[in-house]
Formats: sequence, structure tokens, C-alpha cells
Amino acid sequence: MQLLVNIVVLAAIYALIACGYVLIYRVSRVLNLAHGELMMLGAYLLLATASSFAASPLLAVAAAVGLSLLVGILVYVVLIRRMTGEAVLAAVLTTVALGILLRGVMVLVWSAQQQYPGQALGIDNPALVLPGGARISVMAAMLVGATALTYGGLFWFLRFGRWGVRMRAVGQNPLLAAQRGINLHAIYALAWGLSTLTGSIAGMLIALDSGLTSSMPIVALKAFPAALVGGLDSLVGSLAGSFIIAATEVLSIQYIDPLLSDVVPFLVLIAMLMLRPWGLFGTREELDRV
Amino acid sequence: MRSSIIIIAAVVAAGLSSSALAQDAYVVGITAALTGPPASTYAPAVDAMRIYLDRVNAKGGINGKKINLVIQDDSAEPSKAAANAKKLITQDNVMLLIDASLSSTYAPVVAEAKSDGVPLLFASSVCPKDVYPPAAEGEFCTTAFASTYDSRGALAFVKETAKEPVKIGFSAMAIPLSRGEMEFAAKQAPELGMTALGIEVIPPPTPDYTPFATKIKDAGANWVFSWAPWVTQVRTFEALRRLGWSGDYIAWAHLEAEGELKRIKDSRLYVIGANAMFDDNLPIQKEIAEAVKQAGSKYPPEQMTEGWIAGMVIEAALKGAGWPAAPAKIQASMQNLKVDLKGLRGGAIEWTKDNHFRTKQYYRVYRWDGSKVALVKNWFSYDVK
Repeated sequence: MQLLVNIVVLAAIYALIACGYVLIYRVSRVLNLAHGELMMLGAYLLLATASSFAASPLLAVAAAVGLSLLVGILVYVVLIRRMTGEAVLAAVLTTVALGILLRGVMVLVWSAQQQYPGQALGIDNPALVLPGGARISVMAAMLVGATALTYGGLFWFLRFGRWGVRMRAVGQNPLLAAQRGINLHAIYALAWGLSTLTGSIAGMLIALDSGLTSSMPIVALKAFPAALVGGLDSLVGSLAGSFIIAATEVLSIQYIDPLLSDVVPFLVLIAMLMLRPWGLFGTREELDRV
Repeated sequence: MRSSIIIIAAVVAAGLSSSALAQDAYVVGITAALTGPPASTYAPAVDAMRIYLDRVNAKGGINGKKINLVIQDDSAEPSKAAANAKKLITQDNVMLLIDASLSSTYAPVVAEAKSDGVPLLFASSVCPKDVYPPAAEGEFCTTAFASTYDSRGALAFVKETAKEPVKIGFSAMAIPLSRGEMEFAAKQAPELGMTALGIEVIPPPTPDYTPFATKIKDAGANWVFSWAPWVTQVRTFEALRRLGWSGDYIAWAHLEAEGELKRIKDSRLYVIGANAMFDDNLPIQKEIAEAVKQAGSKYPPEQMTEGWIAGMVIEAALKGAGWPAAPAKIQASMQNLKVDLKGLRGGAIEWTKDNHFRTKQYYRVYRWDGSKVALVKNWFSYDVK
């Protein structure tokens, strides 16, 4: 039972991070390689708001969530929008540069020390005992819940929401969508905002669960295979991919060798790329290179 | 923030002017893990060295010459550390090279230092066996933690403290020295009458330590020993506690240990270390606290001991080398050095031609006693042979 809980928690972490990659790629075909840094920025924003609103944890979390959404939108408006008309690779390289810049700035502002936003907010993180004797921390349980809510919300938004339908339209055919009067820049900015928001929520909950260090972006890198295995333009795929990667990782720790846990996600990714390069639920696209 | 800006300014200024200054100052280069997973163990030590040497410079320097400290970040990556070492030696003309990073950076940095005949000091990074007698010619170490001795000290404490048969698990980070040390400890434990369980080698960083902790708990451990960067030690412990594990845990007392014991408040979490904690309230600790405050460092004083000790040793080594200085003269000075640490450790740092570590390695064990960080076992030592 504990093994299953471990898999679910890790899958929830990866899924919450991976949906950020998917949202941006699905809409604009840009791979956001600064997603890990933006996720960490969300966690540090919580640390900052925690010191400003120490008496009101809910207000601190709400402020950090709002700021994260704003940061995502600003990244698009200030940086990525300027890549309009350029090759996709230019935008991807811009995200690499943004990631390096953010990492440096965050270390300068908040230092390399391990930080504990939960302590700053006075939030305890006790363990809950589940049926079967398995245990899960409150924050890990909230992370699983947040992932379920996020995916549920995104599915609803993309299926029934006016802006969600527009987002899908832009993802499928931006030229046609623009001709129908959809504001492409507004849609892209929204996608960046939502992506940063979901990543930041993951960062905040990981930080509340086990602390915050400047190495958090590497966690996001481990979620990347999950998005690719599921299909980079599919939310269902990122859920499935996250579960597969988490399961192989946890099972390899338990039954083979803990060291393999670092390698296994990439072995699964390589296997998937050989068999089905577009992922389990991804869209098969035309080759633009032979 | 202020201290970081000062460090960056120092790095930039040093980069621009080190060649010019090389003729007129002691140039000391550092490759350090200022960012990356284990940065919290190294960055405060580097800041402490900077503060200490700035104070020396403010008092007129050594032998009438200033110390020019050139700091390079390697993010705990061997390739970056190698590039830093090459740059520091060939472009900045450093006379003394310092490695304050993960053990995985040692091989390339040692190779660079050795090929150019520059003495290499491990400060705040774990002491490699090469500094033990008979020591490698150009390698020295001031760091509190040291392979094999630390495991002996920790296991001796476990044996002395345990009231029931010990089934001990081990937790390491997936880096060479941490893994090697836990393998050494796992071999030692049966000789002390303990049942050694498996070693969990945890890759850095991992988003959730629970799967690793689950395995340790399932193995039936009533003690766990971890000798790894603090992040691995503490997160494994906290994951174990969340799983309902109620055993005893002993970890190395890294820079963060004092603050972390106060945060975690668990009386069965022991830390073994070679540095005195600030609750001792020694005169030199007050001096460190005052200097840290004046420098506006973002790190608390209790995290400065390791870097402060390195600063004291660097000062003594440069003083002994005289002026004009050269790497060979500094190395000769380091091979005949004794520095009184004024209570920061159980004894002095004493180097000879054959011993670049110390003649005795002292340990203390601390834990949270319900109201404060308390001494569980006072200084005990091992002769270094």
C-alpha cells in the first residue's frame, strides 16, 4: 500500500509540473526550458509573501499564486512575444537563457540556503494514516489533490471555457484562428500564465512538504520525460506519462537499485522515442527533418 | 543580498585585475559549489572565508601584502570545477587553490593543481584520504568532516548509546565519497556487533525521499546513519518520520545542523561533528558573530565556523610563506603549520610533511533535548595515523 501511495505522490508531482510544458507546447509549439526555474520562482515568491503575510497563510499563498500567474504573463509579454515570426528554436533558446538568468537572480536574492516556507507560515506538515497503514504527509496529500483539481479544471476549461476553446483553436491552426478574430497574443500570454501558475503551485507544495533549495529546477527536468512519454501536446498523455515514470522510478528503488531511479525515466523516454516518438497520446506531426 | 553583490563584484573585479595584482598580492583561488544541490553546505563557508580574509586585508594584509581572493562557482559539477581550476591557475596565477565543492569535483581539480605545482586546500569540502599520512605532496584539508574517521566515531557512539541490538541502515548521496563512506560504515558495523542493512544511495536532487525511506523502514532499521550533504541527510530523516519510523538517526553535523536541530526538535536525531556549536558562546564565536553582522552576510554566524577555520589556516600559511610568495613557498609553509583554533574544535590543526589533515580528529555529538541544542557526548578523539 505504501508503495502505491509513493507512486501516486511522485506521479502527482511530475504531472503537475508536466502540464506546464504541455500547455505552452500545445498552444505555441514552444518548449519552455525555463519551466523549472519558473516553478522555483513560484516557491520563492511564497517565501517572500510568507514574510509579508506571516499572520495569514491563506493570504500569503493567494498572493504567491497571483504573482506567479503575473510572472508567466510578463515572461510572454516582455520576452517571448518578441520572438514572434522567428524560428521556434529562437524562442526555445530564449527560455534557456531566461532559466539561467532566473537561477542566478534567485540565488542572489534568496541565497543557496535551504529554506522552509512552511515554517515561515507556521504550517505543520504531519503525516496522515491511510487505510492499509500507508502514510502520506498533509502537503503530499494536498499535492495529489491540487494535481487532480488542476487537471480537472484544465479539462473543463479547454472543453467548455470560451478562452479554452480559443486556446485549442490557436493550437490547432493559429492562422485560421487569427483570421476568425482570436487575439493570438492574449491566448499565448494566457498559456504562459497558466503554465507558470501550475508549475509554481507544484513548486510551492514541494517546498511546503520538504523545503526549498536552489536545485529545484532539476526536479522539473525529471518531469520532462513524463511529458514526452505521454505526448507533449496531450494533457491526458502527461498524466499517463507521469504515472508510468513515477511507477518505474519507485519500483526500481524498491526492487532493483535506488541509483537506477535517476536513469529509469530516461530509459523509458528512449524506449518511447524509438517506438512512438510522438508519445502515448501525442499528435503525430509531419517530419520537418530527415 | 549585499554579501552576494560583494562576492560578484569581487569575482568581476578579480577577473579584470588579477593579473595586474598578481605581482603585488597573495592570489588565492576558490572553486566552490555556490549554486547547485549541495550549495547550502559550501556557500556559507566561502562567505566566511571572504569575510575573514577581508578583515585580514583591512588590518594591512599579510607581510604587508593584500590577499586577492578569486571566487568561481562550479555548481558542484566536475566539468565546471575543472574549467575553473584551469582558469584560476593559468589566467589568475593563483598561488593557492581551494576546492569547496562536492567530492565529484576532486579528480579534475587535483589533476590541474598537480600539473602546475599549485598547493590545493580542501576547505569545507570533505577531506579525501590523500591528505592522511602519508599525504600527497600538494593536498591539504581543513574541513571538519573526513572519510573513515567520521564513520568510526559515529558507529562508536551508536554502539555506546543503543540499549537494544542495533539494526542499522545507511543513507548516502550518489556521489563518490558519500557512497564510499557508507560502504565503509556498512563493513565496520558488523565488527561492532551491529546488523548492517542496505545502503540507500539517493541521487541529488530527488523530488520525494519517501520511496528511499520506505525501503529503510521496511528493512527493519532501528538506527540509521547518514553521511552525505545535509539535504540528503535531513530529507531522508524527515521522510522516515513521516512514515512513522521511530528509530534513532545519526547524521554528520554540517554547517546547517545547529539551526536544523532547532527547527526539527526531535530528540532522537543526533548529529556528530568536529566543530563546536555556537551555544558554547566562546569568545571567538562572539568575534565571528560580530564580523558576520558587520559584513552583512545573509548566512547566520553558526554556519561560518568551517570557513572561518579555513581563513585562519590560509592566513597562517601565507604568513609562513613570506614575500615574495610562490606556490612552492606556500606549499612548504603548509607542510609545517600549526594553528590554534581557540576552541572551535577539540584541538589544533597541525600539518607536517606527511600529515596534511591533523594529528588528532576530535568529535562531539549533539541533539535537541526538548528545549535547546544539547551536548550528548563531549570531545572524543582518534589519533590520525
